[in-house]
Amino acid sequence: MAEKKIIVVGGGLSGLMATIKAVERGVKVDLFSLVPVKRSHSCCAQGGINAALDTKGEGDSTWEHFDDTIYGGDFLANQPPVKNMCDAAPGLIYTMDRMGVMFSRTPEGRLDLRLFGGVKKRRTVFAGATTGQQLLYACDEQVRKWEDAGMVKKYEGWEFLSAVIDDQGVCRGIIAQDLATMEIRAFVADAVLLATGGAGMIYGKSTNSVINTGSAASAVYQQGVYYANGEFVQIHPTAMPGDDKNRLMSESARGEGGRIWTYKDGKPWYFLEEWYPAYGNLVPRDIAARAIFKVCVEMGLGVDGENKVYLDLTHKDPEFLDNRLGGIIEIYEKFHGDDPRKVPMKIFPSVHYFMGGIHVDWNHQTCIPGLFASGECDYMYHGANRLGANSLLSALYSGTVAGPAMVDYIEGLSKSSKDVDKKHFERELKRQQEWHDKILKMNGYENPYKLHEEMGDIMTENVTVVRYNDRLKATDEKLQELIQRWHKINIEDTSSWGNQAVMFTKQLWNMLQLARVITLGALNRNESRGAHYKPEFPERDDENWLKTTKAKYTPDGPVFEYEEVDTSLIKPRPRKYDVDKEATMND
Amino acid sequence: MTREYIHLKIKRQDNPDSAPYWEEFKVPYKPNMNVVSVLMEIRKNPVNANGQKTTPVVWECNCLEEVCGACSMRINGVPRQACSALIDKIDKSPIILEPLSKFPVIRDLQIDRQIMFDYLKKVKAWVNVDGSWDLGPGPLFPEKTRQWAYQLSRCMTCGCCLESCPNYNEKSAFIGPQALNQVRLFNAHPIGKMDKEKRLDAIMGPGGITECGNAQNCAKACPKEIPLTVSIADLNKQTVLYGLKRWLYK
Amino acid sequence: MSLFEKNHFFIRKLHSLFGVIPIGLFLLEHLYTNSFANQGPESYNAKVEFLQSLSYVLYIEIFLIILPIIFHGLYGLYVVYIAKNNVLQYNYYRNWAFYLQRVTAVVTLVFVLYHLWALRISSALYGTEVTFASVAEHLSNPWIFAFYVIGLLASTFHFANGLWAFLINWGIAVGVKAQQVFGWITGFIFVILSVMGLQALFAFVA
Repeated sequence: MAEKKIIVVGGGLSGLMATIKAVERGVKVDLFSLVPVKRSHSCCAQGGINAALDTKGEGDSTWEHFDDTIYGGDFLANQPPVKNMCDAAPGLIYTMDRMGVMFSRTPEGRLDLRLFGGVKKRRTVFAGATTGQQLLYACDEQVRKWEDAGMVKKYEGWEFLSAVIDDQGVCRGIIAQDLATMEIRAFVADAVLLATGGAGMIYGKSTNSVINTGSAASAVYQQGVYYANGEFVQIHPTAMPGDDKNRLMSESARGEGGRIWTYKDGKPWYFLEEWYPAYGNLVPRDIAARAIFKVCVEMGLGVDGENKVYLDLTHKDPEFLDNRLGGIIEIYEKFHGDDPRKVPMKIFPSVHYFMGGIHVDWNHQTCIPGLFASGECDYMYHGANRLGANSLLSALYSGTVAGPAMVDYIEGLSKSSKDVDKKHFERELKRQQEWHDKILKMNGYENPYKLHEEMGDIMTENVTVVRYNDRLKATDEKLQELIQRWHKINIEDTSSWGNQAVMFTKQLWNMLQLARVITLGALNRNESRGAHYKPEFPERDDENWLKTTKAKYTPDGPVFEYEEVDTSLIKPRPRKYDVDKEATMND
Repeated sequence: MTREYIHLKIKRQDNPDSAPYWEEFKVPYKPNMNVVSVLMEIRKNPVNANGQKTTPVVWECNCLEEVCGACSMRINGVPRQACSALIDKIDKSPIILEPLSKFPVIRDLQIDRQIMFDYLKKVKAWVNVDGSWDLGPGPLFPEKTRQWAYQLSRCMTCGCCLESCPNYNEKSAFIGPQALNQVRLFNAHPIGKMDKEKRLDAIMGPGGITECGNAQNCAKACPKEIPLTVSIADLNKQTVLYGLKRWLYK
Repeated sequence: MSLFEKNHFFIRKLHSLFGVIPIGLFLLEHLYTNSFANQGPESYNAKVEFLQSLSYVLYIEIFLIILPIIFHGLYGLYVVYIAKNNVLQYNYYRNWAFYLQRVTAVVTLVFVLYHLWALRISSALYGTEVTFASVAEHLSNPWIFAFYVIGLLASTFHFANGLWAFLINWGIAVGVKAQQVFGWITGFIFVILSVMGLQALFAFVA
């Protein structure tokens, strides 16, 4: 039997974990990444990773973790995979600890836990305020070990363009492009995993890294994969607005005692504590973001008349802050100038995370056999709103599911991709080469970066915290206009070496397609649930909308289908954070 | 410093084999800009200071909050991250941007730092776990040790230390401070230290720890303020003791 | 792997060790002996005579002084060659010390070779005696005197700063603070030795 091979696209936490799991099963992996995998966006995660270790004598349990996650996600997530994730979390943390993650410790040398949003028990393991970086590095190191052993071959500085799908509709490899030489090549694989992260760049400025365009997810969406729950985009309540990006100020700042306030009648007003006495500053992100938005935009009570409120840590011991939150304090100091130990930070909500993503089954396989997706680019674990410190968990956990699932899949394959007729690869390669050549010849008058800015501005304006149907409609019209104008781009740079402009123009096309999925998904969903909030439809509507959105690409725009949500384990109940969770269970 | 325009002078290079050249740009000033956001403005309107159309400047960046290590470049001669180089805090004009000089240029300010990852392989910078399966809680680890080890673990392989090191150059085989620092990190971990001697062996040959000449620019250049010179001194102690042991127990 | 590569660590540590033991110790002894010049020709001549009367003096000179200096010097030249100095770009105190360590290495080497020729080898070859008077005459040429002043300062700097590097290279000074403190101490050593040496030099021409 010919040696079988897996391709993993994306070298963040999920892709690396899937790689490790596949290699441990004896299958070689080709790992593709836009950047050296150590620079992946997972490194930006700050506050921590959830696991019900229950080492603080609080009687925490994995069931409680599961319930908080489902409740926090407003019951939109399919429940069995979420339960599996929460059950696996403690073991996963122990594994990462053995791999050398410098998790913060208790005085007796065990893993320390801290509080996070939307929960009442300490459940978040952390490494200062750079937990994502530390987890990413540990996985990067393990993969380097396997690379050294000849089991992993890295293609860093390559961009995924599309999947190769044979006439039977089975994924047989990928087309990728070298970002330096601009060579476009077909790669054969028996299974392909996309672990390509979120799509913050669709909003122009977000807390995401610049590689988070969602381009890869959009490319396979345009090849027939469903994109699910696109309209659920998390707005993080506390970010530091910037000219080039909005820099995240971790929820752990509030977990460690940080307070949100602004002035009202000349006095500090702790509006979260007043409105949500049960959870206070640690309400989930959708709730906190809406509250800050309301205070600033609707009530006009932002600090200095601007759209900003205070995130205050000044009452905490500076040494405690350096030890537990050093990473974000450093970022705020470096990029803003003020010292958060002495002066409250000024923050405002920002686009942060995509609960939606590529539609997959519980083995993380898409509707195209052999094509898998995991990490932020899938839609599985967070429903309508993600709880803080659950993203690192879902990234890692989905990798541990997808890796072995791919190995199982290829073991069951009757025909290796190597034996598939070459014409399938040549056909897709030709399509991508033509697309590239067409873009290289574009000599219109539009600038791709300016079009991107326009897209980001309108998306941020209309498809974030508060959504109105008329504005969503107008946004989609604008997106269609931008798609038309995309064809009028002047590429400026016609170089056949290291041409970033032509790659960005491709990504922009893909972003525009995905932006329409997000916008129209939001327009269709006439209810309010988690991060999706419409003042015209302020209530959650389980009867009509307890459904997963599934968008399918057509050249005329996305077509939507809806799928039942598996609520077999926890019966949906009203979600409110002004009272304890237990009080909601009797409703 | 207040200004109407941000005046940039950029060392450009079309590909690895072509000659470098200088190009100047004038970008309208806005408050709170950094070098990355100025380069982003150039992309939106790729016209140089003489008003001629040009190609957008190529550079690397990713997280924009100084944790990914991508955007290292020389700014007014000093290697640092472009994202945290705030325009309002740079007094000189023009602001001179050059690629790091110790790595091959790919295009303009973009460089190839693969060699740094190869060094990490060479020194076995990982904990050699048996597998990624759940074996229950890991070993106890004192918080005090964890705190300094954590400082070391924040290295983002950005290359500033190598750029500033006088002993890291084309004449020398030195692997530089970043890889050495990782040796100290993994030798401190309760499981990692089981392979301590393998890592020390890897840094005791040519190009290893002995090539350090204590100029100590690395610790000054490090954007994460990692105590690289302490790591190197500590490894000196480890290698001397191990060297003696290796010899006396032969 | 060549023998050289295989024993790389040992060779480098030997190079570092030789700078202190025996070369550094010899420098201390030498400066101390010379300081007797302050007390007049008789005192100085008596000390020189005493040293020359030591048993195995030639072997001591060859194995504890000359050969270590040759090894330290030759290997040191390679170390000097390998550096690409950048003090103008990185204008830091430690970087300057690194650069000066290399500059003084070359100056000291040239100085030591000349000094050795002029006051040891030539006297051995031609049978002339080394006395206060002969040294005084040697130093009466202002150019040679100036060269000695420079050579002396280069040697004391190279030794003192080298001692600091030694403490780090052997893992004795590890922490930031410890490295700083030893920096002060070795700086002090540089000043003391330089003053001692200069006094002796001026005693010869007074």
